[in-house]
Amino acid sequence: MDDAPPKPMRPLSRRGIERLDLMLLCAEALDLNGGEAMVWLSEEMGYTTLFPNRVELWKRRCCNPLRRSTRRDPLPQAEADALIRILNALADRLYPMLRSLLSTAEPPSISEQRWALFRSRLAELLRERFNLRRGAVQRLLDPEQGPALSRELIQCMAFSAGPGGFERLQASLMDAT
Amino acid sequence: MKLTSRYEQTSCRLVLEGLPDLSAGQGAQTLGILTGFTLALAGRTELEGKREHLLALMAVVLPYARHLLSGVLRPFGAADQAVAISPAEGGGHTLELRSSQANTPPLTLQLDDAELADLVRCLDQMRLDPRLALGLAVGSPQPLRRGELHHRQPLRQRLAAPLVGAGALALAAVLLALLPPTPRPASTAAPTTAAAGTR
Repeated sequence: MDDAPPKPMRPLSRRGIERLDLMLLCAEALDLNGGEAMVWLSEEMGYTTLFPNRVELWKRRCCNPLRRSTRRDPLPQAEADALIRILNALADRLYPMLRSLLSTAEPPSISEQRWALFRSRLAELLRERFNLRRGAVQRLLDPEQGPALSRELIQCMAFSAGPGGFERLQASLMDAT
Repeated sequence: MKLTSRYEQTSCRLVLEGLPDLSAGQGAQTLGILTGFTLALAGRTELEGKREHLLALMAVVLPYARHLLSGVLRPFGAADQAVAISPAEGGGHTLELRSSQANTPPLTLQLDDAELADLVRCLDQMRLDPRLALGLAVGSPQPLRRGELHHRQPLRQRLAAPLVGAGALALAAVLLALLPPTPRPASTAAPTTAAAGTR
């Protein structure tokens, strides 16, 4: 895979940015210190030139059009790649939690409690930071559609973790729209 | 000298055994010739196979996971391939391992999302391990084309735009046909002649 020809440089689509930011939000919902972990990982991974501080990192995430305060300028490729790498590292760190949510071997009552806690935290973050008039946000908060959509996000994070996760996630976020 | 590489996750253990390919100039710690592998998936029989089985496993599981990430659930692995994977009816995934020996029925394993994620991680660790030189490269993940992402929009929504376009075109054609024909401009030959006569 390392010998594969480089993909053409292409910015993420609007849908790609939405999914990337929603998965980062899921990481924050899973880990109360997720926001701090993101900043710390960004520094650890050497992205201080791209995101010198937490405000700059937050500004890039605001390229998501679903946000309450959204930025209209496009997300440059280098910064999108850095955010994908940060998400890959976060998913790797949170992999045991992601796995326990997805596993059918867990007792159903415990599994349901974990999902309920995750969904309530995600809903709280969505209400705090996202534009509630957007259909995609309303669907995530909908008691009928929300659980399946949040499960999809957790599933995506699980398959984005690990050494091959970055390439898989990057390709997925660049799907045709 | 026999070499062993192990890749482990909660529900999956992949162990490769082989030898360094000294004739190819590889180091003594580089596994260059695969003599066999074992794959243990939680609570199930330990599977054994050769290089072609490992390649077949990677060739279906990794693209399946890539498509899953885009929300596309579709089977991988043709009937003549050693391994196939497909979405299971009630959720989860069905991994089918077909023996090359005659009269041996295929082994079917049901995996949930967590077990599949473990298997994918083990395969990723293995294929990106710098201590291996087995030439097990698989294609780099690629973005999916619009035609592969039908699930994102229901059929009605997908057909709406072309149908409205075709309808508008047909309506415009009918309206144009109903317009009265415009009178032809008078022939320019006569004035030209008249102008020539006055000169």
